[in-house]
Order: sequence, then C-alpha cells, then structure tokens
Amino acid sequence: MPAHVIVRDLRKAYAGVEAVRGVSFTIEAGEIFGLLGPNGAGKTTTVECLVGLREPDAGDIEVCGLDARLHPREVKQKIGVALQSTSLQDKITPREALRLFGAFYRERVAPETLLERFALVEKADARVETLSGGQRQRLALALAFVNRPQLVFLDEPTTGLDPQTRHELHAAILQMKRDGYTVLFTTHYLDEAEQLCDRVAIIDQGRIVASGTPRELIAEAHGLQSVSLVTSRPVDLARLGALPGVNDVVGASTDGAGVRFHTSDAVATLGALTRWLAETRVEVIELQVRKGSLEDVFLGLTRSHEEAGGAKR
Amino acid sequence: MNALLTHLGISLRLHFRNRMALLYGYLFPLIFLVAFWVLYRHEKIPLLRHMGELLTVAVLGGACFGLPTTLVSERERGVWRRYRLSPVPTWAIVTSTVVARYLIVLTAGLLQVAAAMAIGMTAPAHPFDLWVAFTAVAFAFIGLGLVIATLADNVPAVQALGQCIFLPMLIIGGVAVQLGSLPLWAQHVSAFFPGRYAVEALQSGVNGRGFMGARFSLLALGLIGFAGCLAGAKLFRWDAQQRFAGRGGKIWLVPAFAAWIAVGLLAEWRGRIAIPVDREIASPAVPPVSTPAPAPVPAAGTPVLPASPPPVAVVPPPARQLALPPPPKPEPVWAKLTAKDTEGLDFNIPPDQGIVAPFAAADELPEDFMKDQVESVRSKIATWPPGAEGDELRCVRNLLYIAAVPDAIQLPVERYMPRVVYEHLIDTYPKEKLTKILTYIVLHPEEGMVIDDISDLGVEGAAGDPTLVRERAYLYALKFILRLTGKVPE
Repeated sequence: MPAHVIVRDLRKAYAGVEAVRGVSFTIEAGEIFGLLGPNGAGKTTTVECLVGLREPDAGDIEVCGLDARLHPREVKQKIGVALQSTSLQDKITPREALRLFGAFYRERVAPETLLERFALVEKADARVETLSGGQRQRLALALAFVNRPQLVFLDEPTTGLDPQTRHELHAAILQMKRDGYTVLFTTHYLDEAEQLCDRVAIIDQGRIVASGTPRELIAEAHGLQSVSLVTSRPVDLARLGALPGVNDVVGASTDGAGVRFHTSDAVATLGALTRWLAETRVEVIELQVRKGSLEDVFLGLTRSHEEAGGAKR
Repeated sequence: MNALLTHLGISLRLHFRNRMALLYGYLFPLIFLVAFWVLYRHEKIPLLRHMGELLTVAVLGGACFGLPTTLVSERERGVWRRYRLSPVPTWAIVTSTVVARYLIVLTAGLLQVAAAMAIGMTAPAHPFDLWVAFTAVAFAFIGLGLVIATLADNVPAVQALGQCIFLPMLIIGGVAVQLGSLPLWAQHVSAFFPGRYAVEALQSGVNGRGFMGARFSLLALGLIGFAGCLAGAKLFRWDAQQRFAGRGGKIWLVPAFAAWIAVGLLAEWRGRIAIPVDREIASPAVPPVSTPAPAPVPAAGTPVLPASPPPVAVVPPPARQLALPPPPKPEPVWAKLTAKDTEGLDFNIPPDQGIVAPFAAADELPEDFMKDQVESVRSKIATWPPGAEGDELRCVRNLLYIAAVPDAIQLPVERYMPRVVYEHLIDTYPKEKLTKILTYIVLHPEEGMVIDDISDLGVEGAAGDPTLVRERAYLYALKFILRLTGKVPE
C-alpha cells in the first residue's frame, strides 16, 4: 500500500523561535500512527501544518498523493480532523452540525449514519451546550468522518475525559483501523499510544527523537527494567550507584521514602541492594520490578534531551 | 453554493435560538421606537421625521455590535478554526455570515417600520429607495463590524470598541441628535461619520425625495462600506491567536478610516456641512393639505380634538395657502360673542414650559442657530398672504398655524413662534376684537382650512396631519386669550 502521509524536513518558526526543526516521517495506508511528545514539543504545530491550519516555513508534505502545500483544498477533501475540543456553537445540534459540515464536502455521509455509528442518536437534536464531555468528543469524531476521509487526524482526542469515555473512544479508534482508515493520532497518554498505535514517533524540542513500533522502541531502550522500592528510612542515592554488584543503573530518583530507577541487570542490582539494606537495617516495605514500557522510553528520551539542553545552557 | 446556503440557514436558525441576540436585535429597536413615540407625545409625525435615525440605530446595533460579537465569540470558541479545516474558503463563510447579518438587520428594520405604521406613522414615501438606502447603510456598518471583529481579541473588547464608535455617532454624528440642533463644529465633525449619511439616506426614502435626495449619502455609504469590507477581509482572523504582525500588520486599517476622512473632506469641499435647522428633510412627503370644516364641536377643556378626523381633502398644488375665503357675511360670526363667552372657556391647557404647545417667555431669546429662522418669520409675517388678506377670522386662524405647525413637527423653534405670532396679532388687531376672534376659534376649532406648510416663511417641513395642527392652533388660541385677558402676564 502507498504511504498516505510523507513529511520531509518540515520547519515552522514563530517570531524567530523554531517550533518544528526538520521533522520527517511517513504514515502507511491503513495504520494508526502516534505522534508523542511533551507539551511544547512541536507535535500540534506539525499536525496543524499537515491539516492546512498553518503554512510551514519549509519542507514537503504529501497527503494522499497530493502536495498539501500546493493543493490544500483538495487535501482537505480527503482528510478528516478531530481537534482537541469540539469547536461548535452552543446552540447547534449534532444533527445540524453534521449536516453543516457535510455540506462543505463533495462526498458526504448522511448525518443519521454518523449519529448511529458514534452513539449520538438520542442526542441528535439536543444542543451542544447540553452534551457531556464524552458526547462532545464523539461528535468531534463524527465530524471527522462526514466526508468519507481516507486519512483521519485525531489531535489529543482523549485529553480531559473520564476513564469510561476514554475506553469508548479507544474502541472507536480501533474500529477505524478495522474499517481500513489511516489515522494520525497525538496523545499525552503513553499507555493508549502503546495500546492503539501501530507505529509511533516521539517528538521533542521540534525534532523526531525516535520512531518505530512501540515494541521496537521498548526493545531499543537496552531492555531496561523498571525498579520501584519503598523503604522504612530514606536511601542515599549516591551510595546506591557505588555499591559493588550494582550495574547500569539509570534515571534514579527518590521522593524520600521511595526510590525508582532503571537497570539492565535487575537480579544482580537487587541482590546487592538488599544486602546493603540488611546491613544498614533498613526495612523493605514494597518492591516492584517490571519490564520497560513506552513511558520509560519516552521519559528516557525526552529527559536526556532536556539534560543535554541544560548542559548546553 | 450548497455549503453557503446551508451555513446561511443554520446561522439564521442559531440567531433565533439566542435570546440575548433577539433581545438586542429586535426588542431593543422596538423599545427605542416606543420610547421615542412616548417621548414625542404619541404623535406620528415625529416618527415619520425621525425614522431615519431609528433605523440607523437598529442597523448600527446589529452590524457594529451583533456581527462582531458573533464573529469574535465563535472565533474564541474555535468554530472558525473548525471551519478552516474544511475545503470551503474562509471568505465564503464570512460572506455567508455577513448575508445572515444583513437579513437579521433587514427584518429588524421591517419590524420597526411596521410597528411605527401600526401606531400611526404614514407609509414611507419611497419604499424601494428606502430599501436601497437601508442596504447601503447595512453595507457600510457591516464593513465597520468586520473591522471591529478583526481588532477585538474577545467579546468585551467588541463592546468597548463598538461603544467608541457608537456613542460619538449618536451624540455628534447626527444619529440621535438632529444635526440642525448641533453647533457648527459638531456638524463639521459629523461629516466624517457614516451615521450622518445613514440618517440622510434613510430619511430621504421615508419622507424625502428618495434617491434624488440621497445621492451623496449613498455614495459616502458605499465608499465607507467598501473600505470597511476590504479591511475586514484583509485583516480577518480565523484564530484568536493569529496576530496582525505576521499578516501585513494593521496597515489595512488605513483604507477603512481613510474612507471616513475622504467622505468628510468631500462633504466639506461640496459645502454639505452646515445644516440649517430642520433642513434634513428635503421636501415634505405629504403635500399641503386642508380639511373641510366638519360640524362644530363644543370647546372642551381637553386639548384633544375628536379622535376620528374628517376625511382629508387633498388640494392640488400650487395652492399652498389654501384657505379659501368663506362667503361674505353682513356681520362677522365672532362679533356677537361676549366676555362671558370668553370667561366660559375651559383653560385647562398644557403649561408654557411643557412640550405640548410651548410658549417662550417674552425675555427668552432663541439660541443662535434658531435666530435666523425666528427673524425670517418675524419679518415676513405681516405680509404673509394667508395672514394678511381677506377675512379677519380666517387671517387670525391662519396666523395661529404659524405657531401650530412647528409645534406639531416639534421643531427646535417651536417655543419661539407663538411669541412672534402673538406680538404680530396684538400689533394688528384691537385687543377686544382679537379676543372675540380667538374665542370664536376656540369654540369652533374644526372650522376653516388647515395650513400645515409654512415654508414660505422660512420654516421647512410639513406636519402632514391637519387634525394635529388644528389641535395645536386651538391650544395657542387659548394661550393668547389668557394673555389678552390678563390671566397670564405678557
């Protein structure tokens, strides 16, 4: 299948400050692609350039085989977008909104079909101001589908929603994949990116710092395991790294009674640690070891960039 | 086109769901109308003469407050950001929004005219011309509304900017205060505001000469509207965070306000600044009319004449002073009246300082801008044919109309005219004879022809309502008698 999105060396600056610095990635047809990054990393600017809300300073954007910078209107005919929050008038109803936005496109889906698909039939004629957060977000998703899009952009669609509504939206997004849609998905929630995305790209300070499937990224993180330890008395982190037998400890942090760190050799590290705790008569209250997650990868990558930035400064 | 029609339909539907929008768009103009009507003594003539101002206020409110409030609140919410994600160009949605606003202000205007007609205003003289003028006014103010929408970052800013334009236009722009009542410097300033041209163009359609009386105003409104729409389009912000700096800056504000200056300078150059009192109305909408005398009614204490006026007999021009001489009689009808008849009159009349039949005190001088008009009447009254030729009763009655017509039209000079007439009467007639004639007029208020146009004397405007003019003549006759009999000091 041909790639639905090709981005090459995308750049965008605001008042001299570069928000996006040479971002490149591709999205294959039929996949869910996640764009992850901390606040201010440049992911929203990247998406806005892709959907035609911002004019990039440089770079190439190809969407559904079209040059998005040369043919923005044609591209808009082929894509659907759900923004972070539903941006509609208070007094409009879901049925009217779907009819209105459907009228803007050559191809359109009947409002009734979308109301049914996104479980809004009962609220079809209720004003937007009376809808719950979840219903509004489902309406935003429905609006992204009014034109039978080939490619759907979902910009942090689950931000601020309760767990139940998030779960419903996850199901809706997975259904999109089953229906063959290509989805670009931005989120703060790394667990949902890990759960939903076929591939992800991590963006930080305007650059892509890693990309691949969630499994690949986790594997690339040197197979680090995450250790969380709660003790009866605070542990001196400086001593921890110097203990004989403790190997390859990274990202150690403490909040007083608890210590967290990552290590590539959990067995050896924990053996040395428990011996030292016994000698110093510190009681272990809780100990947890788990394999590395996308969150660990994300934190490792973005923190290392932050530290590099800090070192430069 | 389907997209625009759908957007237009939904915009209108959403407007009618918004109670506050309905309140400001429809109820407030009606409240202005009713307030105006009550303020002006429940008379229909002022409504006719001030319809241009009332309609201007309605359009100004809808276009300079309603339109930018809608645009800015939708922009703040991100609705325009959502529109921009669609393939429909932004200008098309702006056009649809503007058309929706035009239809809203048009319906508000129609409602206002209908309500005015329901309470007695005569129909506009040139309905088609009025509609064209209304469209030009809406175009000019909608352009202004677009500029306000681009400048304001939020809804409170819309209110603040709107007031900055709205209030000066009301006070010194010729919208709420008649230009003729303003000092000359304010008349100069008003030439640079579109409100003045809006009132002139609309009023010309209501009771003026239509297009012929509003050519300059229509041109001015078109220019101001074009410049406003151009600036509004160039500066349009679909996103609240979008700033002028990246899009050519505020330079596009220059043509918007340059149009105001150009129009003002053009008006100065063409000498269209100073407005004599009550020259706003180019010509009377209603031709001079006279009413035949119905059956006499007894003089009542109430100043209100019978509610159902007799059928109006329209006398064709050029007979502007149409009071035809009654058949000669051997003895004047008033000659038999006695002091007892005069004493028996009901003098329950409005005070001199009130708004109905006002009467300036002898030492009360007109303001500067009215002096010329008062002096014009004073110099011409002695030779004014309807007041100088023929039967004495007819002459006195006609002279009373010189006081009654300005009062009926509510001209600024209304309170000074009775003094001019009274002084002329006591110079012309012996007190006893004059008292008898005036007593007869009070006892027979509906006799004789009515003169409702005294432009020969330098007072422009026609009342268009013979019954009202007759009523005011009756009141002034009583006021003159009070002075002649010493009950009120001269």
